[in-house]
Amino acid sequence: MSGHHISSAKFLWGVGITLFMLTILTVAVTWIHIPSPWNVVVAIAIAVVKALIVSAFFMNLYWESKFNVLLFVMSAAFFLLMIGITLLDTLYRNDPIPSF
Amino acid sequence: MAGHSATEEKLDHLQHHFIDSDQQFEASKMGMWIFLVTEILFFGGLFVAYIVYRAWYPDLYLLASEQLDTFWGAVNTFVLIGSSLTVAMAIRSAQLNQIKGLIINLWITIGLACVFMVIKYFEYAEKFAKGILPGSYYSYEGVAHEKANIFFSIYYMMTGLHGVHVIIGIGLMLWLVYKAKKKVFHSGYYTPVEITGLYWHLVDIIWIFLFPLLYLID
Amino acid sequence: MATNEEIKNRKRIQVRRFVPEEFPEKHYLNEEKGLWAWLTTVDHKKIGLMYLASIAFFFFIAGVLALLLRTELLTPARSFMDADVYNQVFTLHGAIMIFFFLVPSVPAVLGNFVLPLQLGAKDVAFPRLNLASFYIYVIGALFTFYAIASGGVDTGWTFYTPYSATTGGNVMAMTFGIFILGFSSILTGINFMVTIHKMRSPGITWSKLPLNLWGLYATSIIQILATPVLAITLLLLTMERLLGIGIFDPAMGGDPVLYQHFFWFYSHPAVYIMIVPGFGIISEVISSFSRKTIFGYWAIALSSLAIAFIGFLVWGHHMFTAGQSSLANMVFSFLTFLVGIPTGIKIFNWLATMYKGSIDMKTPMIYAMVFLFLFTIGGFTGIMLGALSVDIHLHDTYYVVAHFHYVMMGGMVMAFLAGLHYWWPKMFGKMYSEFWARISAALLFVGFNMTFLPQFVMGSQGMPRRYFNYIDQFQPFHQFSTLGAYIMGVAFVLMFGYLLHSLLKGERAKANPWGSRALEWQTTSPAPLHNFEHTPVIVNGPYDYHKPMSEFQLGIANSHNGHHHHEEVSAKRTETEQA
Repeated sequence: MSGHHISSAKFLWGVGITLFMLTILTVAVTWIHIPSPWNVVVAIAIAVVKALIVSAFFMNLYWESKFNVLLFVMSAAFFLLMIGITLLDTLYRNDPIPSF
Repeated sequence: MAGHSATEEKLDHLQHHFIDSDQQFEASKMGMWIFLVTEILFFGGLFVAYIVYRAWYPDLYLLASEQLDTFWGAVNTFVLIGSSLTVAMAIRSAQLNQIKGLIINLWITIGLACVFMVIKYFEYAEKFAKGILPGSYYSYEGVAHEKANIFFSIYYMMTGLHGVHVIIGIGLMLWLVYKAKKKVFHSGYYTPVEITGLYWHLVDIIWIFLFPLLYLID
Repeated sequence: MATNEEIKNRKRIQVRRFVPEEFPEKHYLNEEKGLWAWLTTVDHKKIGLMYLASIAFFFFIAGVLALLLRTELLTPARSFMDADVYNQVFTLHGAIMIFFFLVPSVPAVLGNFVLPLQLGAKDVAFPRLNLASFYIYVIGALFTFYAIASGGVDTGWTFYTPYSATTGGNVMAMTFGIFILGFSSILTGINFMVTIHKMRSPGITWSKLPLNLWGLYATSIIQILATPVLAITLLLLTMERLLGIGIFDPAMGGDPVLYQHFFWFYSHPAVYIMIVPGFGIISEVISSFSRKTIFGYWAIALSSLAIAFIGFLVWGHHMFTAGQSSLANMVFSFLTFLVGIPTGIKIFNWLATMYKGSIDMKTPMIYAMVFLFLFTIGGFTGIMLGALSVDIHLHDTYYVVAHFHYVMMGGMVMAFLAGLHYWWPKMFGKMYSEFWARISAALLFVGFNMTFLPQFVMGSQGMPRRYFNYIDQFQPFHQFSTLGAYIMGVAFVLMFGYLLHSLLKGERAKANPWGSRALEWQTTSPAPLHNFEHTPVIVNGPYDYHKPMSEFQLGIANSHNGHHHHEEVSAKRTETEQA
C-alpha cells in the first residue's frame, strides 16, 4: 500500500512530453496512408499506449493497490464484452449462422 | 504509512467513522476509482454505438470526418494533455505542502480547460453555421452520404458529453482553489485534490480516444 | 502471507467480552430528536429507515396499480378502464416496481441498515454520499410523478424505441427520473464496495464475511458496471425525442435493436441487482434458524460473484424475437443456461444447511422456505425460456409474466420480507406478532400461487402479455388470477397492520432474539448511534454455531469506541493488516 507516491517534477514533465510526442505520432501516421483496417489498429494502439501512460504515471496506478488496478482493468474488460457481444449481432444480421 | 508526523498534529479533516487519515484517504481514492469505472462504461455505450455504425457505414465515417478540423483537434489534445500534466504537478505541490504551487497549478489547469472549451465552441459554431446540426435539424448538403447525420449525432453526443465533463472539472477545480486559499489542504490531507486529479485524467483519457476516432479517419 | 518483519510489527491486543445491554435507554432512534435531525441525518440506520418508508410507499402505489390491472382483466372486454389507461397503468406498475421498489429494496433499505453493523463499522465509508443518494432517489421520484401527472407513459417499463421516441405522454420526464435514480443506485454501490473493503473490524477476513455482505458486494459490482449503461441509454432516448438524433431510428440509418442491446445490458444484470442481495438474506436466515454452520460457505459466496458476472453475458435472451442475428441468438441461448449453475449451487447449499439442523420455523424462516419454493419454480421456467425454440412460442406471453413474477416477487420480495422480519427487532427494538405474521405469510403464499400459476397455463396456450382484451377461453384463468391478487392484497394489509401494531405497542425485543451468532446481533436492540459501544473483534466465522456465544461478543478491552483514540488506532490497523 503506497497511496502517497510522490513523483518528481522532472518525471512528470517526461511523461507529459512522451504524451505530446505520441500525439504528434498519431497525427503523422495519417499522412502516410496505411491500408484500411490497419490505420484504425495503429490509431487505437497509440491511443491505448497513451491511456496506459496517463493511468500508470499520472493517475499513479503503477504504484497503486492492486484492487484499483483491477477496477480499471475490469472496466475495460466489461466495455470489450459489451461491444464484442453486440457485434455478434450487428455484424451478422443478414447472414445465417456462419459456417452452418 | 510512514512519515506522517504532520497528520498527527492536524486532524480536523478526519471524519469520526474512520480510524485514521490513511484509512480515509484510501477509502476516498477507492471510491473515486469505482466512480471512474462507471464513467468508463457511461462513455462505453457511446463508443459501442460508434463502433457498430462504423462497421455498418465505413464510407460515411471517411467522408464525414473530413468536416472535422484535424489541426484544432490536435491542438485540443495538446491542451488537455498539458492540463493533465499541471494537475499532476498540483497534486505534487500539495503532497510537498507547497500551497502556493498548488494554487498556481490549479489556475493553469483551469485556464487550459477553458482554452479547450473555447476551441470546442469555435468548432461547434463553424459546424452550426454550415447546417451541421444534430439529428433532425441536420441540413448540410456537403457530405455525399444519405446517413450523414448519424455520424454527427454520435460526434455531438460524444464531444458534448465530454464537454460537460470538462465543465464539471472546471467547477471542481475552482472549488479546490477556494479551499486551498482557505488553507484546508496540506501534505497530510489533500484527498480532494488527488481524487479531482483522477477525474481530470480520465476526462483526458477519453479525449485521447475521441481524437483519433473522430478526427483522424483518413 | 505475513513476512517476518510484519510478524514482528504485530501488536497484541487485549480483548474482553462485551455482553450487549438489554432494553437500552439510549439508542439511535432517540439520541437525536426532531424531523430536521431525521432529514439531515448521515446515520446509515436512519437513512435505511427513510428508504424503507419510501419504498413501502412505492410498493403500495404499484401494488394498487396491479390490483387495478387484475380487476380490469376480470372480463374479456372493457371492465372499467379504457385501453389507453390500461397501457399507462401496466407501464407504471412495471416501472415503479422495478426502479423504485425492487432495485433499491434490499441494498438501500436492509443493506444500508445492516452492512456497517455486520462489519462492526460505525457507518458506511461515505455517510454524506449516502444521504445524497437518498435525496437523489427522492428527486428521481418527483420527476416520475411529474411524468404521471403530465400525460403518463404507455411504453411499458422497457421504453423500447421507436415507439417510445414517438408516442405521446411524457416519456422524457419519466426516463429522466429513472436516469437520476441511477445515480442513487451507483452511489449506494460505491459506498458499499468501499465500506466492505476498507472498514472491516479487526478479525473480519474475507472468509469471515457474512454471506449477506458477499451478496451485497456482488450487487454493488453489478450496480457499478451496469447502471451507467442505462444512464447513457436513457440519455440517448431523451436526445432522440428532443433532437431526433436518429441513433435508434431506422429511417435515419439507426438501429432500434441497438436500443434493446443497450437497455438489456443494464436491465438483465439489474435483474440480478434485485435477486442477488436476496440470496444473501436467505443465507443469513437459513443458517440462523437452522442453528447450523452454513454448508459450502465459499460455494455460496463465489456463486454470488459468478451470477453477477454471468449476468452480463446473457442480455440477448430478451431479444430472441427482436431480429438480432441467429448467431447472437445461439450464443445468448447457450450462455443463458450457465446462470442455472451458480443458482443451483446456492439452492443445494441452503438445503444442505438445513439438513439435520434444529430448524426453528419463525416468520423469517417461513419466508425463506417460501422463497426456496417459489424461486426454484421461477428459475426452472427461466431455463425453459432460455431455450431458443421454446422461447419463440412463449415470448411475450403470460408465461414470461408468470416467470418473472415468480423470480421477482416469489424470490426477491419474499427474501426482502424474510430480511425485514429478521432484522425488524434490531431496527425498532420491538417484536411483532408471530401469530399474525404466520397467517399473513400463509395468505401470501396461497395468493401468490393462485395469481401466477394460472398465468403459466394461459401463456403456454398463447395469451400475450400487456393485452387489454382476450378471448373468452382465458376468462376462468384470469378470474382465478385476480382472486389470488386480492388475497395477496389482504395479506399485505394484514402485514401493515401487525407491523404498525408492533411499532406502537409491540413487546420490546431482546438484543439477540433469534440466538444468532452474527455480529449485528451482538449489540443492543435498537443499536446505539455508533452501532457498538466497543470495537468488535472477530475470531470465529459468522455461522459457527458450534462455538459458545461468549466468543462472538469480544471487543478491544479498555477502549471506548470513541473518536480518534490513538492507541486503539494502531492496534486496530495492525490487526486488520494481519487479516
